[in-house]
Amino acid sequence: MSAAETNAAAGAALPVPAIAAQPQTKVITGNGAAAWAAMLCRPDVVAAYPITPQSEVIEQLAKFHADGVLDCEYVTVEGENSAQNVICGASMAGGRAFTATSSYGLVYMYDAMFNTAGYRAPVVMINVNREPPGIHAVCSGQQDMISVRDTGWVQLIVENDQEIMDTTIMAFRLAEDHDIQLPVIVNYDGYYLSFLAESVEVPSITQVDDYLAPLKAQPPRPQLLPGSNLGCGSHGIGMGYVELRKKHMAAMERVKPKLEEIEAEFTAAFGRAYGGQIEKYRCEDAEIVLVTSGSAVGTAREVVDAKRAEGVKVGLVKIRLYRPWPKEALAAAVKGMKAVGVLDRSICFGWDCGPLYMELRAVTPECGVVPMLSFIDGLANMDITRDHIAGMIDDIQAAADGRPYQQVTWLP
Amino acid sequence: MAELRKRQPKVCDYYVDEDSFSPGVAFCAGCALELNLRLISRVLGKDIIFVGTPSCSAPVLHGQNTMAWHKHAYYACTMTGVASSATGLSRYYEKAGIDATVVCHTGDGCAQDVGFQTLSGAAERNEKMIYVCYDNEGYMNTGIQQSSATPFGASTSTTPTGRESRGKTTGSKNMPLVMAMHEIPYVATATLSHLEDYAKKLVKAKEAAKHGFAYIHVFAPCVVGWKIPVDSSIQVCRDAVKTNYFPLWEMEDGVYRITQKVRDPKPVGELTSTVGKFKHMRPEETAILQAQVDQRFRVLQALCAGSAAAEAPAAEAAPAGE
Repeated sequence: MSAAETNAAAGAALPVPAIAAQPQTKVITGNGAAAWAAMLCRPDVVAAYPITPQSEVIEQLAKFHADGVLDCEYVTVEGENSAQNVICGASMAGGRAFTATSSYGLVYMYDAMFNTAGYRAPVVMINVNREPPGIHAVCSGQQDMISVRDTGWVQLIVENDQEIMDTTIMAFRLAEDHDIQLPVIVNYDGYYLSFLAESVEVPSITQVDDYLAPLKAQPPRPQLLPGSNLGCGSHGIGMGYVELRKKHMAAMERVKPKLEEIEAEFTAAFGRAYGGQIEKYRCEDAEIVLVTSGSAVGTAREVVDAKRAEGVKVGLVKIRLYRPWPKEALAAAVKGMKAVGVLDRSICFGWDCGPLYMELRAVTPECGVVPMLSFIDGLANMDITRDHIAGMIDDIQAAADGRPYQQVTWLP
Repeated sequence: MAELRKRQPKVCDYYVDEDSFSPGVAFCAGCALELNLRLISRVLGKDIIFVGTPSCSAPVLHGQNTMAWHKHAYYACTMTGVASSATGLSRYYEKAGIDATVVCHTGDGCAQDVGFQTLSGAAERNEKMIYVCYDNEGYMNTGIQQSSATPFGASTSTTPTGRESRGKTTGSKNMPLVMAMHEIPYVATATLSHLEDYAKKLVKAKEAAKHGFAYIHVFAPCVVGWKIPVDSSIQVCRDAVKTNYFPLWEMEDGVYRITQKVRDPKPVGELTSTVGKFKHMRPEETAILQAQVDQRFRVLQALCAGSAAAEAPAAEAAPAGE
């Protein structure tokens, strides 16, 4: 190879920005972790509109772009609905696209989210959980994510800043996988995680390139190009509609094994594991279990340890995959338990309980009829404290012991 | 002598490609949209991508299941997301170094009402695209409801005439001027009775869209919604120009110019009397519409004069300084 050829080959390689050349440990916020992760995945197009508590994500990406660290088209849109449509268009044209939002912004994207999912555009979106409109609360809460449950997106919920980093990287791998081709949301609790600074292992950009490299070996996605005899968004009439819906549903089901598969590869590359669809903590010999998600899991883990020390045989299940609903994994996890409690940071209108609780009840035929308790806590930044969770575990134990119990409990 | 006179270009001189639309398409008889789409296609050529939305043009532009009625690439999206989806396409092509002309094609309801925010945003960001709004003055596809493009007095299914109603009570949004106020590189009005004028504007828009946003507002009567004979849509276009109801103009980099000067504009009643949706209007109501047409035309003339004048002193200043 001549010098010129060597140079040409080097020129063809992806640029390695100095700040991302080496793996490093950084103290960053949850928002910072999301922005770093997105940058490391080299999106072609980023479109976003600011909203508390997400703004830091897009500001950090704008800075990466301004500093030449992130070579992308950065679109400062005039609203979230446009952000969603921009990334869907960019994805259908063949690009990797990213956005981030929260609460009001998420629900303002609602029609466009159906569009993105229906087009099977494999975009990645961060949603920083916050209470949605109505009672104006600039506060954490998972109601926003619940409200877009049936748009056809894959949804993941994470617990801490490191998991934000790692799951955002995995989200691109999952979304763009040839067997999946679905948009993915990574949810994390606003305030509790968005502004929480923690020590985070940040991989180098070449490590992330390597992790995402298998996507390049897959059959290419169809690309909507000018001059091509190709369209996107035809009217689905009759069976045309049914066929696409059925395929979308099937792809959604394939997410469950695929997530386990790509996480195993992630663990092999980076040494960190999250349990795939759900994480079971001290469930092996447990007789009762608490099921929850998001930042509350960290507190719950501590309380479970304390209760274990007292001799209470309690386990903890963390829901990571919210859509598709990991019903098989959950049924297996709670089967044989004498009582089950579910802690929700949102509510389910019309069912008078928490939404995760409502969905977990649907696995009753698989896991058997046992007392199931719904705990609604942490709405609008009301802290989910150790005492609250200890009380929940006491209630679950009491129910397991055959004492009368309250099916739905609002805390504090 | 006739043979020495410079030959005026005909519309076919602007064609760069064969017709990419199917010989028969699913539009209503006499619909101006078919001509509109075929013209855009032939003047802009194959390397375009249409972006549209559920609308009158959707059955043809987006087709059913796997079939559309043309050979162009297209992207269909929600009514709220046309200019933003087009931004996504255009930005990716930019990033990937792909030459492309992204052409949004929507009705007035999308452009002026439900999709206006995203259109305004894309214009402000000066995204590289052409946005063609075919203005049939209302939501024709959903059953002839009023939009912000519906003119004063017009009867629609949501502004019907009745014992307490004389049709729409407010005037239309002056959309081409609204877009011009975004100070984008190119804005034009066009209609289907003046195809050479329209074709020339499409060519300019394509050039402008290499660097930024181009907007073309097309007056496109709807035979069903306007209650006009199926063979009259082109005549209605012509009448709209001749009455100054829909003047043909363009704005290039801030300079406004009327492209079809009308020597003795006819009263607007000569247009409205031929269109069913205006037929109930009394002379005093037509006078209100006439006053609005006159006022808008005066503003347009002032813009033409004002923007031309802004250039002139600079041109004169140079020799004076020597």
